[in-house]
Amino acid sequence: MEKSRRYAKSHEWARLEDDGSVTVGISAYAVEALTDLVFMQLPDVGATVTAGESFGEIESVKAVSDLYAPISGTVVAANTDLPSQLETLGSDPYGSGWVVRVQPDSVEQLEALMDQEAYDKLIGGE
Amino acid sequence: MNLSGSSKSSPNKKQRIGFSVWRDPPASGGWNMAADEAIARRSEETNSVLMRLYGWHPHTVSLGSFQRYVDFSETPELSHWPVVRRPSGGGAIIHGTDLTYGLAVPGSHDWSRGTEKLYAAVHGALVEELSERHLSAYMVEAPGRETEQNFYCFNRRAFGDLVVEHAAAGSSHGNHKILGSAQRRLSGVVLQHGSLLLHRNPHIQGVGSHLGLGDVLPAGSGSVNEVVDGWLQRLADRLHGELIAETGPSYVKENKDIITRTERYESTAWLQRR
Repeated sequence: MEKSRRYAKSHEWARLEDDGSVTVGISAYAVEALTDLVFMQLPDVGATVTAGESFGEIESVKAVSDLYAPISGTVVAANTDLPSQLETLGSDPYGSGWVVRVQPDSVEQLEALMDQEAYDKLIGGE
Repeated sequence: MNLSGSSKSSPNKKQRIGFSVWRDPPASGGWNMAADEAIARRSEETNSVLMRLYGWHPHTVSLGSFQRYVDFSETPELSHWPVVRRPSGGGAIIHGTDLTYGLAVPGSHDWSRGTEKLYAAVHGALVEELSERHLSAYMVEAPGRETEQNFYCFNRRAFGDLVVEHAAAGSSHGNHKILGSAQRRLSGVVLQHGSLLLHRNPHIQGVGSHLGLGDVLPAGSGSVNEVVDGWLQRLADRLHGELIAETGPSYVKENKDIITRTERYESTAWLQRR
């Protein structure tokens, strides 16, 4: 399995790590579109997440949005510094702005997500 | 997250989209939130724009989705008020002398893209209507961040908030926010909540007390109801839609889905989740 970022249509990204876990975050495009983030709710470590279903929420000044899990699995880590440092999502969305790490039910799920080229096409059409 | 709606196809632009509006009777906070969620799901299923207008009985405080419950419970002037938490964001609203709307726009519609188009459409339509009636109104463009976090919605100034310029005996001269809105972006549909203050609420004093449309509308400019009718028609025009004034409520009281959703909104777990 290639260890580059994959993307969900709902703008969350997922990256397979060396230990078999998958890091999940929010794409730079989505962070910019949300604008002025004020609050974020993360899942607890140990929570199970299901692909396509909400695993957290994020609030900008004018809208509350769900975060949708790009894959199914169990949350093994959550970036608990993030809610108090939401600017990190904008400054480093693919690094220190990561949201959760998930132990996936199967890594093959990543193949169902978009690669960078497909995602660029998606956001180019929005 | 839903930034741009679903993959359903967009309606033919030459085809006028239906824009159904219900004027529902006043109801409790939990029921109102549940009924809004229900029209959001119906909007997604029918690929149509739906709107509820409603009041509140009893008068109720609604909190934004992420506001802290303790900020409500430790506000002495609110201690005897019923309270509900909205699924949408923003600040606390004291409902009772306002007209609340829930507007559901399916993900296929252009208005669901980003957050600003829907605010601009709804609030801009009312700015036009008020200007026609000689009341100076505008939408906030670039607010200071400090006011965005004020406990009360109507003390905040965020992008798109509708503000009127008014000076009257017994009220402060200046700019008064009379319409504020906030969104919940669900999968495949956007639900926008908004509160149009109609009159100052006599049951609240101090920083939670605000002028309403009826308090600032110039004499001879028509009634509040006429303003609302004009606003809706302008909104339909912007939508290139056909305004359908539905008769009766948007729900049946025995609707099990709404009853279940109401129970969730009335639960302590939801109300005090933060």
